[in-house]
Amino acid sequence: MAPHAAIGSSDIAEKARRSLLQLLEGVRGKKNLVLEKALAGPINLLVKVSTLQEYGVEKIFFLENHNLNSSQRNVVFLARGENSKIVLEIAAQIKKLRQESQTDHEFFIFWIPRRTLVSDQLLEAEGVLGETSIFEYPLHFMPLADDVLSLELEDAFGDLYLRKDPKSVFLSAKALMLLQQQHGLFPRITGKGDNAKRLADLLLRMRQELSAGEDNADVGNSFLGLTPSSSIESLIIIDRESDFATPLMTQLTYEGLLDEVFTIQSNQTEIDTSIIGPAPGSQQQQGSQSAAAPQGLKRKIQLDQKDPLYSTLVDANFATVGPILNTVARRLQASYDSKQIANKGISELKDFVAKLPGFQSEQGSLKLHTSLAEEVKKYTMAEQFSRSLEVQQNIAAGADPSSQHETIEELIARALPLPTVLRLLCLESVMSAGIKAKELDAFKRDIIHAYGPQHILTLSALEKIGLLTVRGGPLGGGASAKPGSTTNFNTARKHLKLIVDEVNESTPEDVAYVYSGYAPLSVRLVQCILQKSVVAGLAEKRGVSASTLGLSTGWKPFEDAVKQVRGVAFDEVQRGEEKAVRARQILNGSAGAEGKTVVVFYLGGICRAEIAALRFVGKKLREEGKGRRLVICTTGIVSGDGIIKSAVEEGKFEVK
Amino acid sequence: MPKPTADWERLDQGYYRKVQLYTSVFDQDLDLENHHVVGAPYSGAVAIYRKEENLHLYRGIQSAKPTIDLYSCAGKLLRRINWDKGSIKGLGWSEDEKLLVVTEDGTVRVYYGLQGDFIPFSLGHGAEEHGVKSCRFYSSGFVALLGNNHLVTVSRYDEPRPKILATPPSEPVISWNIISPAYSLSRSVEVLLAIGETIHVVDATESEDRMLQNGPFKHLGVSPNGKYIAMYTDDGKVWVVTSDFQNKLSEYDSNTAMSPKDLQWCGNDAVVLSWEDEVHLVGPNGSAIKYFYDDFVHLISDVDGVRLLTSDVCEFLQKVPNASQEVFRLTSDTVPSKLLDAAEHLEKKSPKADDIIQQIRSNLDEAVDICMRAAGHEYSIHWQKALLRAASFGKSVLDLYNSDDYVDMCETLRVLNGVRFYAIGIPLSYEQYRRLTPEKLVERLTNRHEYLLALKISQYLRLPTDSIYVHWASQKVRASSEDEESICRIIVKRLEDKNGVSFEKIARAAYDEGRARLATELLNYEPRAGKQVPLLLSMKEDTIALDKAIESGDTDLIFYVLLHLKKKLPLASFFRIINPRPVASALVESSALHNDTELLKDLYYQDDRRIEGANLLVSEALAQPTVVAQIDKLKLSSKLLSDSKNQQFQVKAINETQQLLRTQDALEKELDGSSFIGKSVNETVLSLVKNGHSKRAAKVMSDFKVPEKTQWWLRLRGLVQARYWTELEEMSKTKKSPIGWEPFFNALLAAGNTRLAGTFIPKCTSLSVGERIDMWVKCGMIKQAGEEALKAKDMAALESLRAKATGTGATEIERLINQLKQGRR
Repeated sequence: MAPHAAIGSSDIAEKARRSLLQLLEGVRGKKNLVLEKALAGPINLLVKVSTLQEYGVEKIFFLENHNLNSSQRNVVFLARGENSKIVLEIAAQIKKLRQESQTDHEFFIFWIPRRTLVSDQLLEAEGVLGETSIFEYPLHFMPLADDVLSLELEDAFGDLYLRKDPKSVFLSAKALMLLQQQHGLFPRITGKGDNAKRLADLLLRMRQELSAGEDNADVGNSFLGLTPSSSIESLIIIDRESDFATPLMTQLTYEGLLDEVFTIQSNQTEIDTSIIGPAPGSQQQQGSQSAAAPQGLKRKIQLDQKDPLYSTLVDANFATVGPILNTVARRLQASYDSKQIANKGISELKDFVAKLPGFQSEQGSLKLHTSLAEEVKKYTMAEQFSRSLEVQQNIAAGADPSSQHETIEELIARALPLPTVLRLLCLESVMSAGIKAKELDAFKRDIIHAYGPQHILTLSALEKIGLLTVRGGPLGGGASAKPGSTTNFNTARKHLKLIVDEVNESTPEDVAYVYSGYAPLSVRLVQCILQKSVVAGLAEKRGVSASTLGLSTGWKPFEDAVKQVRGVAFDEVQRGEEKAVRARQILNGSAGAEGKTVVVFYLGGICRAEIAALRFVGKKLREEGKGRRLVICTTGIVSGDGIIKSAVEEGKFEVK
Repeated sequence: MPKPTADWERLDQGYYRKVQLYTSVFDQDLDLENHHVVGAPYSGAVAIYRKEENLHLYRGIQSAKPTIDLYSCAGKLLRRINWDKGSIKGLGWSEDEKLLVVTEDGTVRVYYGLQGDFIPFSLGHGAEEHGVKSCRFYSSGFVALLGNNHLVTVSRYDEPRPKILATPPSEPVISWNIISPAYSLSRSVEVLLAIGETIHVVDATESEDRMLQNGPFKHLGVSPNGKYIAMYTDDGKVWVVTSDFQNKLSEYDSNTAMSPKDLQWCGNDAVVLSWEDEVHLVGPNGSAIKYFYDDFVHLISDVDGVRLLTSDVCEFLQKVPNASQEVFRLTSDTVPSKLLDAAEHLEKKSPKADDIIQQIRSNLDEAVDICMRAAGHEYSIHWQKALLRAASFGKSVLDLYNSDDYVDMCETLRVLNGVRFYAIGIPLSYEQYRRLTPEKLVERLTNRHEYLLALKISQYLRLPTDSIYVHWASQKVRASSEDEESICRIIVKRLEDKNGVSFEKIARAAYDEGRARLATELLNYEPRAGKQVPLLLSMKEDTIALDKAIESGDTDLIFYVLLHLKKKLPLASFFRIINPRPVASALVESSALHNDTELLKDLYYQDDRRIEGANLLVSEALAQPTVVAQIDKLKLSSKLLSDSKNQQFQVKAINETQQLLRTQDALEKELDGSSFIGKSVNETVLSLVKNGHSKRAAKVMSDFKVPEKTQWWLRLRGLVQARYWTELEEMSKTKKSPIGWEPFFNALLAAGNTRLAGTFIPKCTSLSVGERIDMWVKCGMIKQAGEEALKAKDMAALESLRAKATGTGATEIERLINQLKQGRR
């Protein structure tokens, strides 16, 4: 029994990669691969298309495109087994292919992350279960960066808050359980929000069942594996419901803005070639057909945090991106110039040549990010952008919301994209405990007039999620509401100091830099647990000495402030059997808190600015000498537009 | 004690030994000659079935009934399966000791756990019409040869999916065999068919003729590692070739006219041929050893050797493992053998022990290892002890030695000796034990109802014991004649403090036995909520099942129960069950959204959830193909809400939608070729403005009470987009704009009409001078900017303008600066 290893994202990726390739190897010969569209991003992160080809994949289809053909005898479906719609779709395609094709096809389904009872039942009812070979591909967490693990559940937000379907809670619990089996129990689980509580309860329950279960035979280090971890300090679960506001604001970090402008999915984004130029490899191809190449050609860009330039930019406030790019450009220029002096010794020249590839890749990345930054800059300079940002920041600062209504009305009349407008309205509703009934009705009418009657449904959905509420209404809350049923931003703003007036964007001193002045509530909650003295200092909480702060755990001493945030707060300690704990202690020696990991789990999604803010918290913790490492886990990365889109009705009236 | 080398015989470079495992195995009356004898891998059970084609002695009614008898290797009857299901064409074992019985009609019966219970499945692929001729089995699957030479393969038994392989030629198959997927190059099963003079290799995609000319081949044997193939030719020769048929390795002439009954590999280096009472062991380079018996011999091939079974003895023929050779070989003067010698001297308290140790000191650690391993390969307890003692002695002399392996070996030998005991009858070799794994061994013991030994071994090796208890309890539930209460009491008392015991399995056994009450009672002890669900469902405890599923938090399980309930119950009672359970109704809702709106409607109606119901109708309206149908659905929707007081807005919105659709429909008819349906009010207006129908636009705006500001915005956007400059100029003459004039400037500037944009600048009176100067600059009208600055007497602005200006603009600015300077003076 080795000491618990630290959570390593590259290990997770490698393991996931290997098990996928193993599964593919099990299907003999060439095969066509049919992917659920939502999985394309994650799979692409794990394996290159060329690798898939080495493993016999001839062609890749998207399940949603209905264009599967009979060119190969073997057909492999890769999809999530939790979704009955997908299951039925696969069944339909199998039946169709079987009917139309001359070949005697062999069908394989790899369910992610598990084979479900329901999928079996549905396939059986459709009469295809008997002829398909079914396997499980236990893909849970996808590492998006060294410290970010995502389940990449695209619909998690809509499932949880609109349809109230708790499947992402269960899948999260499963994934976290696997982490616990490898790295030991989270010694402490602290969290906020009703769904977060549900998740924590499930974790406790699963632990019990696991120790009572027969499964433990195949876990390997079974009974000792479930002792409190020596490498993980705690798990913090934040329910998105506790803080709907933060993602609704426009993110002002570099990656956040890239997401706002181009939308990033699984670290990839598609960008018009007119902005960044064609892919370097395809230049010759392009040459021959450049005349015919349409303007709207998109190029896929991998935003890789291993790229040193990107990693310095990623979490920076956009205001500082220009200067950073500038310095890098000048440094590169200088190194070229100085080396190009002709009378150099051979050995120096050799050094220079050896470095050339590095320079070239750096130059390429510089070129890419300069063009991207330029495009983002253009976006941020637009008048509409500054108008909506102004509204957001006024609302966040607690200005009288009705003073902003005129601007919002104007933006609606000018037909800004629907998500942008709805973000403003929802932000107002969330931050100021609802909108007055009369005003809300007027806004709804405006929206329906401007964007179409189908949005009657959109607005209903937003109300169901709780993003749009009537002040004083059943969900609105207001002053009379019970604490915890809704987030009271007025008190939170005060007690947790959400608004920081002086923000230094280039050398930030507080997490508020990610929104240029607004500190994300969710991150403040995490700070309440991890950086008690910082929060106490910010909120000028008197009468709490530093020593008591150091000793207090869980939510203490901020229970009062935390109570004003929606959802229950909880703090559980997981203990192991005493004997096993002692054995573990002996094995690990007396390792202190140094180098321990804190896992922060965002249920319902996290936005990129929050990731940046949490990384900032992690950096501060390291500087304080506590040596703690933050690992961010989530059901998926969200943005304000994404959240709104989960509610937007896509259909519209048409004569068919 | 005889030397271990007593039963060794030399074959080419190596030694082979025949270890006698058990004597007086079977009843002397049993004529093995007339029986099929098939043994499970890893020294597992032996299945015996009387050959149908042979005549046999009539021994009274009792034995006339055909049975498949399962024996241990020591001849203990484990189970008798009555057989009346037709002609058996394939009898075999899987690695985990499942007995597979394939009948002529293509039905496969999987007998698991050495019980009489089986799971049937059918081969399909024409097996029924053409009949199964014979089968070949490997660790986890098998291949069946049909009457028309088609080959059907099954690669797993938990979810059998019979697949047909490529079609081979249809000439008669003389003999055949398979290379198991674990060892074939393609990682899927390959079949070798001896047809005519040659051999065809068949896999899933192709059937390939290997073009041999030495056939016909009476027997084909594939070595356990899949690398070599032994072929027995018509003229009594054995050929060994590599499995790709590229190299011929050896040839042996048996000098017998009669072809052997069986051909099996013994390890990977030798082939065993058996005639009725004669066995040839054929090694490399044509070397051979012959053994003779008194009665009929059956060969049971295993991973590392062959078991020889007569009605009298059970023997194990294998190549002597290297470690044993090192220690015991007659001429051997090796270090390990000296260590063994030294240990014997020590026993006798002879000082020579130390002399020898000093002599071999430099290689001692290796010698310890080899003695230890040799002990593992020894069947005689005497020699096991001697070798371990030698290893222990050598170990004690060494300064540094990791004893883990030694301890492991001692434990392993205890286990091996325990299960080799004749009453248990599992004569595992060390190699087989390693491959089988201790867990599987415990499982085999459990299946043989050897609970005590299984428990002892599990505790000894620190393995989980829960499955043993579960098996015991299930057996108890099935077999015990006591009343249910006391059975329950006994089981619970015995298992209370045991971790991980699955009461669900025991409860299922009870339920399958028809003891429903006992099952319910036992199920209460199951700690895992999810596990209880399937059984509860089959026990028709619907609501409890649903509650337990919800408790487990597993949405799949909840949904599974819901599907089951929906199918079974009338709608009203289904709703009654899910209503008080929010998670359940949320799941029903979210799943019904895309495939069962009728159910959803009923659900909303039942719950009196009118808004949701109305919304559902709106989304149905969206899906309708015609305006009339759309409006009809919308009417239904607003009617649903009309009674409720606080849904005024919703009702109004829906009614307005109908009005919009009607208006748009009318517009489409009036204005041929333009489409409006699908657009919003504002978009409709915009489109009308753009196409110059400003009157109609105004009417729509007043009909729908579009606020004045929005009206202006729409007009502005429409006119700019359609480049109606004159109309815009017209608007600029209006005195007041509710949205100010700046938007006009911005829109025109963006549209590129700087001239017109400029006309709006003076109207933007609410802006500061600086802003207005900027606006002029943006239009490229430096002069006007200068005049603006002059008016405000802003010298600094003028100076900065001068820097920007060129050509005539520059002189103009210069002039203005001078003017200002003069003015100051």
